[in-house]
Amino acid sequence: MIELRNVSRFYQRGADDVHALENVSLEIPAGRFVALMGPSGSGKSTLLNMLAGLDRPSDGQISVAGRKLNDMSEDELAEFRAAHMGFVFQFFNLIPVFSARENVELPLLLTHLKKAERRERADTALRIVGLAERAGHMPAQLSGGEQQRVAIARAVVTDPEIVVGDEPTGDLDAKNAEEVLGLLRTLKQEFGKTVVIVTHDPRAERYVDEVYLLDKGVFMGSRPGGGGARS
Amino acid sequence: MKFFPFVWRNLLRNKLRSLLTGGAIMLAIALVCILRTMPAGFDNFLNDLAANTRISIHNTAGIVYSMPYAYLGRVRGVPGVDAAVSWTWFGGAVDKDKGVTFPNFAVDADAIGVVFADLGFEPETLEHFRTHRDGALVGRMTMKKYGWKRGDLVTLSSNVWPLVLTFRISGEIPSDQDPRFWLRREYFEESLREAGVTFDQVGMIWARVDDPNRVPGVMSEIDAMFRNSEAETASETEKSFFQNFFGSLQGLVTVILIVTALVTLCIVFIAANTASMAVRERLRELAVLKAIGFRWQLLFATLVAEAALLSSVAGGAGALASLGLTRGLGAAAGWNPQLGPLSGFVMTNVLLVQGLFLAFFIGILSGVVPAFGAARRSVASTLRDVF
Amino acid sequence: MALPFSYPLRSLAHRRLRTGLTVAVVALVVIATTLFLALVSSLRRTLVSTGSERNLIVLRKGSDNDGSSQIPLDAYQTVRFFDGIAKDARGEPAVSPELVVQPFFFREDGGRENVLVRGVEAQALAVHDEARIVEGRMIEPSQGEAVLGRGVAQRYAGAALGKEMKFGRRTWKVVGILDSGGSSFESEVWVDARDLAADAKRPIPYSGMRIKVADGADRDALIRRIGDDSRWALDAKPETEYYAKQAESAQALYGLVVGLALLAGIGAVFGATNTMYAAVQARVAEIGTLRALGFSSGAVLGAFLLESVAIAALGLVVGVGVAWPLGLGVSKALGGIGFGAVTFSTNVITLRVGAFDVAVAAMLAGTIGLAGGLAPAWRAARLRPVEALRKG
Repeated sequence: MIELRNVSRFYQRGADDVHALENVSLEIPAGRFVALMGPSGSGKSTLLNMLAGLDRPSDGQISVAGRKLNDMSEDELAEFRAAHMGFVFQFFNLIPVFSARENVELPLLLTHLKKAERRERADTALRIVGLAERAGHMPAQLSGGEQQRVAIARAVVTDPEIVVGDEPTGDLDAKNAEEVLGLLRTLKQEFGKTVVIVTHDPRAERYVDEVYLLDKGVFMGSRPGGGGARS
Repeated sequence: MKFFPFVWRNLLRNKLRSLLTGGAIMLAIALVCILRTMPAGFDNFLNDLAANTRISIHNTAGIVYSMPYAYLGRVRGVPGVDAAVSWTWFGGAVDKDKGVTFPNFAVDADAIGVVFADLGFEPETLEHFRTHRDGALVGRMTMKKYGWKRGDLVTLSSNVWPLVLTFRISGEIPSDQDPRFWLRREYFEESLREAGVTFDQVGMIWARVDDPNRVPGVMSEIDAMFRNSEAETASETEKSFFQNFFGSLQGLVTVILIVTALVTLCIVFIAANTASMAVRERLRELAVLKAIGFRWQLLFATLVAEAALLSSVAGGAGALASLGLTRGLGAAAGWNPQLGPLSGFVMTNVLLVQGLFLAFFIGILSGVVPAFGAARRSVASTLRDVF
Repeated sequence: MALPFSYPLRSLAHRRLRTGLTVAVVALVVIATTLFLALVSSLRRTLVSTGSERNLIVLRKGSDNDGSSQIPLDAYQTVRFFDGIAKDARGEPAVSPELVVQPFFFREDGGRENVLVRGVEAQALAVHDEARIVEGRMIEPSQGEAVLGRGVAQRYAGAALGKEMKFGRRTWKVVGILDSGGSSFESEVWVDARDLAADAKRPIPYSGMRIKVADGADRDALIRRIGDDSRWALDAKPETEYYAKQAESAQALYGLVVGLALLAGIGAVFGATNTMYAAVQARVAEIGTLRALGFSSGAVLGAFLLESVAIAALGLVVGVGVAWPLGLGVSKALGGIGFGAVTFSTNVITLRVGAFDVAVAAMLAGTIGLAGGLAPAWRAARLRPVEALRKG
């Protein structure tokens, strides 16, 4: 599903040359739940941005869901993201002026679905994450854990093949973190999605199929994860 | 004062915002200053007249009603009257199509210098006027507008009388706000006679009383002299005359004052908006400063000082800008018949300083509310909200 | 695909203080500009709406206004029989000889103004189509009666139906109120021409005349004929042209209004830009999220531009909403706004905010909204999703 070949990313910060990624080559098969881990500055977030279509490599090729990303223009990438990607962020990133349902509906605005259909899909997504009764609440009225679950609903409402998360449990307490990881596992298990997360959270290892390691921009290899088994 | 660099640096933090706010305040203060020159011009004009002992005598029915020329002699004979001259509207236009662009009158040359001595004529000017039949005394505002100098020949065609006359400029009436044009009565009367019109009337008489205390008495005596005659007179001080003459401008002045107030309020809102945005973004560091030990009163003062500093600097720039703008306006517009003494747009030092103080106080005012709220918040609640 | 309208509107509502202050700024600028503009427009409207294209005003050559002219009696008696002049109901030529004088009138508070008093004959109402007596009746000749224009009534001491007014050298009895659709005749007082001539001691009883041109007649030929006649030095022109010229002095005031709108408008633009920049700055993460979700930079640009325009639109509505009653209120409180102190006659106008004034205000507000929002919206649109998300 996701293929990186000799991907490098460098940029200037002030007077320094930063090499965020060096010659990374890896593959993520479809339907896998994968964690990108490594110390601070290892380039894992940069790698995630690459395969999510948020950033372009300085060198190398990226192919996602059969499409070559490095040749696409900004607008094409935007279209690609709308069609194939779902996003979950560390700070939830819900639009504060929209209710939970409206936040979940947001990606559907980029499709040609009618209002009634959009509502139905949003409600379904909210049901999946167990927040159907809170559909009309504003983000300010939801707890951290609930907000993240809404974000997950938003990430799957367009039924994308891939869901990416940047530190999805970074701002949550233990109980909520486990719930969110469990939900992400469900996405892979029951809906067959490819889920890729960047995380520091050691708890995540239990839920993922594979852990990919990075250090100083270099891909260090992978090891199997817990696969969702309870310990 | 040792906190000045701190205050200044905070303004530089978001240069774009400070520039935009400063720019807005600068423009608004410039506008307020310009607007204020209008009623101020009127007030100054009247106040300048308050001190002198000149009185006007006109027909009770109206200025458009005339009085016999013979009245002049009788007024001159009244005890207490130093000198008197007559004024008659000439209605001359430089360009017939544009119409009358400055007030012009036929006056008596012999005593004009005495009755209007306070205008500060140069002796050569009055001498020339007295000795040249076609002489003319012209206010500086009009001289500037047309670029005239002493000795220039000017032709005016009257829209009231069947006359087109050429005059030689004797000199200026030395006041920036004076648009008047005075020609000689003899020249006027003779030319009319040549055109077949006999005119022995005058529009107004101006007289100078020797002692301020005698003014009311002299006025009563003059009016009593002509009561029950064909043309009854009404005498009043010069200030009263112009106050009445421009009385209907009160409506326009009211609108100008309202607009000025609105623009001022506008400035307050612009400044307050910026202050509240700035404060909002700095809640975290305010909490930290308080935790370190700075007292809330000090923090409050620095926030208010910041708003006041920005406002004052911008206001100063605006006041200065209005100097240039009013000069341009004054030159371009000159004397507008609709506005009268409201035109001219003369910027005075008083108005400049007032503009500056206005900006300063607005800065303080606009900074107070957001600053107060922010400085008073408890450290714990702030940190809780922000982190 | 564009972002829904509710996004910019709700975002505005979310930050009530900041939005409110900016709306207030725009509203104040709108009020100030509209009031001033309405003032000048009202004056201009009064002057320009006066007179008819089919009427001529005949004055002595060289006089540029009603009050400074005189025409000989025989000129009137001859010209009225020229070809091309309309006839009134009784078959008499529709020619109105008139005498214009500007005596002092006194206000309740003691203020003094020159008011245009028009001495007329019976034909006056027939020639001046737009003038009608709406209360009381027209004057009878030689009775010392007066008819007041609508603007004059209530502005001066004794200016009411049935009352006696003192102006000139005598008192007059008010027998009627005149309406002329807002034109400058409503700032005049009409009396009998002979009464006025006697009071003002004018040997030549008329200052000019108004002629109604017959339907289908050649107006310009009549104008030429009157002007070319060598017996008297007369000048004829269409009434509308005459009054339009007077309106020209109001033209200069428009310049003042434009200057005011410019300065205040630019200030408001800066204010709006400030607010929008702050909004963008506060919502960087939000913008990044929207972009990540797949909304294009164009959609983001549009949304923020719309926010700015919405602020301006709100400011416009509030501004016009306040300016309209404010103008009327001020006019009422002052008994009308007087213009023309120096031109020896006072035009009384009511500060009415008209469609033109609102249209100009709308353009101003629209410009403020667009100009103020453009740079910040551009910045929002150009945010790269990665950086935006990183900052959040």
